[in-house]
Amino acid sequence: MISAENAIRVLRRDLTVASAVKFALSGAAVICLLCGPLIGEGLPLIIALVVIAGIWLVLNYRSMRSSVMAVDPPRLIAQGQFDQAEEQIEQVIRGFSFYRTVKLTGLHQLAILRHAQRQWGESATLCRGLLRQRLGTLDRMAQSSRLILIDNLLELDDVYGAYAAILDLYTQRLSLQEAMDLLAVQLDYESRIQAWGAMMHHVAGKVQLCELMPAPAAARAQAMLALAARHTGQLDWVDWLAKRATLLGDIDALVTDRPALKEVFS
Amino acid sequence: MSLTIPDDSPAEPFLDVPSMLHGSAVARRAPVNRLVLLLAGVLIAFMIIGSKGSSHLRQPLQWLTLLGVVGVLGAGAWASTAAVHRRRREQQALDDVEELIQLRQWEPAAQRVEALLGVPSTSPRFRAQALLELAAILMRYERFEDAIAVHTHLLENEPLDDASSYVIRMSRAMAMLREDHLLDADRAIADLKRRSAGNVSGLQALIELYRDVKTGHAAEALELIDERLPLIRKQMGHRVADAHALHARALDMLDRKEEAAAAFERATLLAPAGELLRRYPDLRPMFDRYTPAPAPAEAA
Repeated sequence: MISAENAIRVLRRDLTVASAVKFALSGAAVICLLCGPLIGEGLPLIIALVVIAGIWLVLNYRSMRSSVMAVDPPRLIAQGQFDQAEEQIEQVIRGFSFYRTVKLTGLHQLAILRHAQRQWGESATLCRGLLRQRLGTLDRMAQSSRLILIDNLLELDDVYGAYAAILDLYTQRLSLQEAMDLLAVQLDYESRIQAWGAMMHHVAGKVQLCELMPAPAAARAQAMLALAARHTGQLDWVDWLAKRATLLGDIDALVTDRPALKEVFS
Repeated sequence: MSLTIPDDSPAEPFLDVPSMLHGSAVARRAPVNRLVLLLAGVLIAFMIIGSKGSSHLRQPLQWLTLLGVVGVLGAGAWASTAAVHRRRREQQALDDVEELIQLRQWEPAAQRVEALLGVPSTSPRFRAQALLELAAILMRYERFEDAIAVHTHLLENEPLDDASSYVIRMSRAMAMLREDHLLDADRAIADLKRRSAGNVSGLQALIELYRDVKTGHAAEALELIDERLPLIRKQMGHRVADAHALHARALDMLDRKEEAAAAFERATLLAPAGELLRRYPDLRPMFDRYTPAPAPAEAA
């Protein structure tokens, strides 16, 4: 099993090595092309170009294999096949790749895997390591990492860290899925700091967003809103939201995960 | 209890399905790619002339060849980058339409998908996705024949993977049921069962349930709901309200009024009564007999 620190170290090293190799090969090819007209045609230059092209093709092939390896892990994690996912992710992280995106995806998938394995500290370290990289056009990966980081920090009871990460997300343009995920973690955060009024602010809009979530997430979010409604004395909401949560999710599992929800269903 | 379905249909006819199906196409190879090939051809010609020409011409031609190489590589890189940006823009546009559909903003979704299908697409996959979104919008506007036409076009003309084909067949079966093509729907459902080979999805279970209720097979519907309700809940989230509503109808048909009332309450807890009636007009008799679950005023 690869540790978070090790994975980040390997990523940084490999990104540097890949850039250096690309630069060296490109530079060598340009020099060969420039030398051609100056020193006249010659077999050595053609051989050099062929060798450079050959190295490029081999490394490109290995990079493409890494890309292919990076396709399956999300499905394996969703199906609970953590060992297989870990094996493939480790191959992506440790393997050589020209493509920066592939290496970053490997680290991101490792963060998701650790989160699914409830290793909150490891997952948080990986998310932070990823967010320190230049992510460029990988907005979706950045937002996803931030959302996972918030959840990890909440599980580690680091509410201040979670608050900072939530604030960070409010400066970004979010997709609908990301907005739903943010709502879920934000409700969790607000329930921990007992910000009941804030939770019930624009509650109708929040409920509409909950209706688009998968059943377990919708159940949990609406149960939290029911808890907030109870604390703010809005009893019509309590009853309605609690019944909905009961129809959508396993209440025993919900209460085990978040004992504060017990008062909603008792 | 009298209930009206809110009418959010647009004022004027729109979404000309035949022209969208046959007018839109995948873009041909961009002219820039042909230019790059032409430049490469000129380059090769220079190289041949340079190697065979007289010595005082050789060096200038070699420099020209070098410039040509750089030009071809540059043009190729620019063409690839432009193609990648076009594809990203189109994918973003499709994602935006999908979000509008999820948020039930039907008119903006319809306008955008019409614009998307009005221009050549960068890939067959994107075009298929746009057509699928069009079908979802048509279902919402109760243009089921048009939706069936789009589904059939997709199945017969577009390259699809197994998962996409399965989803389209399910949507088509639902449209057939809504349009009362019961024989066709029955055949489509039998085909779905064969293709799914035991791995039934939540939506397929819901379609089978609707078929049973629509054709008066209440007892079969009740057996199905006992077996499949957890799956529908797990895969469809709040849309499990549809299953509860159909469950209520099946119980109502068997004159089990109290249980029907309880199932109807569960259904209307999860989805507005008007929305359930719009999705399943066959449920109208129940809306006159049973009371929907009360909701906070703000939520209604």
